[in-house]
Amino acid sequence: MTGRGLWITALIVPPLAFVALFIVYPIVSAFAYAFFDWQGLRRLDFVGLENFHTVLFVEPYRSWTLNAFKNNVIVFFALMVLQNGLGFILAYALWRELPGARFHRIAVFLPVVLSTIIVAYLFKLFYHPLFGVVNISLKGLGLGFLAQPWLGQSGTALWSIIVAQAWHMVGFPTLVFLAGMQRIPGEILDAVRMETESEWVKITKIVWPLVAPSATIVFTLLFVGAFNWFELPYIMGGLDGSPFGSTDVLGLYFYRTAFGNVSSGQQDFGLGSALAVLIFIFIALVAGVITTRLRAREIQL
Amino acid sequence: MARLSLRGIKKRFRTADVLHGIDLEIGDREFAVFVGPSGCGKSTLLRLIAGLDPITEGEFFLNDQRMNDVPPSRRGIAMVFQSYALYPHMDVYENMAFGARLMGLSKQEVEGRIADTARMLRLEALLKRKPRELSGGQRQRVAIGRALVRKPEVFLLDEPLSNLDAALRSEVRLEIAKLHRDIGGTMVYVTHDQVEAMTLADKIVVMNAGRIEQVGSPRELYETPANTFVATFIGSPRMTLIDVASDGARLSLANGGSVATGPLPSAPSLKLGLRPDAVRLTRGHFEDGLWATVVYTEYLGDNAYVYSRLADGTLLAARTTPNDLYAPDEAVTVTVEPSSAHYFSAEDGRRLAL
Repeated sequence: MTGRGLWITALIVPPLAFVALFIVYPIVSAFAYAFFDWQGLRRLDFVGLENFHTVLFVEPYRSWTLNAFKNNVIVFFALMVLQNGLGFILAYALWRELPGARFHRIAVFLPVVLSTIIVAYLFKLFYHPLFGVVNISLKGLGLGFLAQPWLGQSGTALWSIIVAQAWHMVGFPTLVFLAGMQRIPGEILDAVRMETESEWVKITKIVWPLVAPSATIVFTLLFVGAFNWFELPYIMGGLDGSPFGSTDVLGLYFYRTAFGNVSSGQQDFGLGSALAVLIFIFIALVAGVITTRLRAREIQL
Repeated sequence: MARLSLRGIKKRFRTADVLHGIDLEIGDREFAVFVGPSGCGKSTLLRLIAGLDPITEGEFFLNDQRMNDVPPSRRGIAMVFQSYALYPHMDVYENMAFGARLMGLSKQEVEGRIADTARMLRLEALLKRKPRELSGGQRQRVAIGRALVRKPEVFLLDEPLSNLDAALRSEVRLEIAKLHRDIGGTMVYVTHDQVEAMTLADKIVVMNAGRIEQVGSPRELYETPANTFVATFIGSPRMTLIDVASDGARLSLANGGSVATGPLPSAPSLKLGLRPDAVRLTRGHFEDGLWATVVYTEYLGDNAYVYSRLADGTLLAARTTPNDLYAPDEAVTVTVEPSSAHYFSAEDGRRLAL
């Protein structure tokens, strides 16, 4: 081996070993766990696809899985509108240098750097039925009849957490879209202005198609994020997805199943791993499809 | 019909004054060229006419209609941009159809116009291509086609040839001249290239530092430049300006000889402007003429330019025949063709009348 080859080997092998040991090995072993029966930390018999069958088709796991999955789907579509849609509009406003753009560029992105835990507690306080700022404001505005225990009832809990998430992360798609818009050459915009003064035409026919690469990034990351969602519902809704599983999502459900929780105390690595594997495969497949589909409509500027 | 009338146009960006009061009339079917060094405000003026930037002060009329507050798309003006600014996600056909559809034309009308334009610009084979699959010259034609399809009254062209290579440039220049003859709209063309200005324009507007220096036909600008800026800007190699003392009959340079150039303006000192073909060189130093030392010679095949240094350090360009080459450091005497000499005021550089 040449000196150069030795150097390359010496530089590549340690990080590769690190990745293999701490990332590849756990993932592969989690896959393996899913095919065994477990009692606490003790591995019992190889059971094949039994665990997968249980979480997908045996009650009560079946309804829990479906409920959590349904909530994730709601979260994904709601955030697509509230986070990415709003992000696009904000980015457009910032890009057009509307008055105060300088201040808002920072203001919009600031929540993103806040810790999720802080945001979660903050919004938990905002939503407090008695002294939360939301209800107090509503009462102050004479809309007291709208005041309600936002996190305490099935109808509003998930949406309340979604709004908190959108507030927290809206700066990210805004930033990505803004960067995409700033790559559009100024003369192209001038060319459009020579042909129309309609903002709607400008946005739909020119700006939107030209920020397709940003949309790909933002959509894919949102999809992955929405189906891996954990921190905010964990802190605001609790490990059981209360009330009555209305804020239960796959992340919480997996955690509860694998590691148990205070109320049930049960833990089952086999079922948990089976869930984790299913979530992983689902996200990988769909994210792959989204990426290739969206890539195809991107335009090289 | 499209007459443009600019009255006292001023433009200010925050605190920087870019245009200091432009008054200009451009007639129907005229080909006007704004020319000037970078930063002189010529592109800014074009953008004000297009409506892409607001006019700070003054008024712009198109056919006696005040246009200051009319949005760009409603002015009946089309623009060809320096970078072409084609929509990268649309094919050639869509690029041309986009604006036409927004004008509310019927489907057949749009198709008809694009077919005509494509034929005129030889774009028929390219209609299904995306801009990135086109060469520079083809993109240029599409950009022009996109403007043509809208049948505007006024065409604005912002340095349309600057992204093309030299060979293509003269070809497209001819095409633009032909286009102007064929469609007969009013055209306003911005360039920093005086050759483009001279060859294309009916009317050249020479700009400098936010002001118009002179407006006139190419011949007027070349033969009777209004001041030293225009004199040195138009013509290549540029006109040599020499500070000389005048006794009413001869112009002399301190320790540098003197020339008789025919009738002179009455001023004790002035600037003598000499284009390369207004001077003759003779080897050696003689009584009659300005003394100079050859610096170098440019041989161009059909003729040659000799650059020599006068006693006051001015570099003088002279055209000679290619058979007549001079060696560096050779002493020469410069005599002047009286009818081709220009005289400018020593104080403000204005042209002096005889």
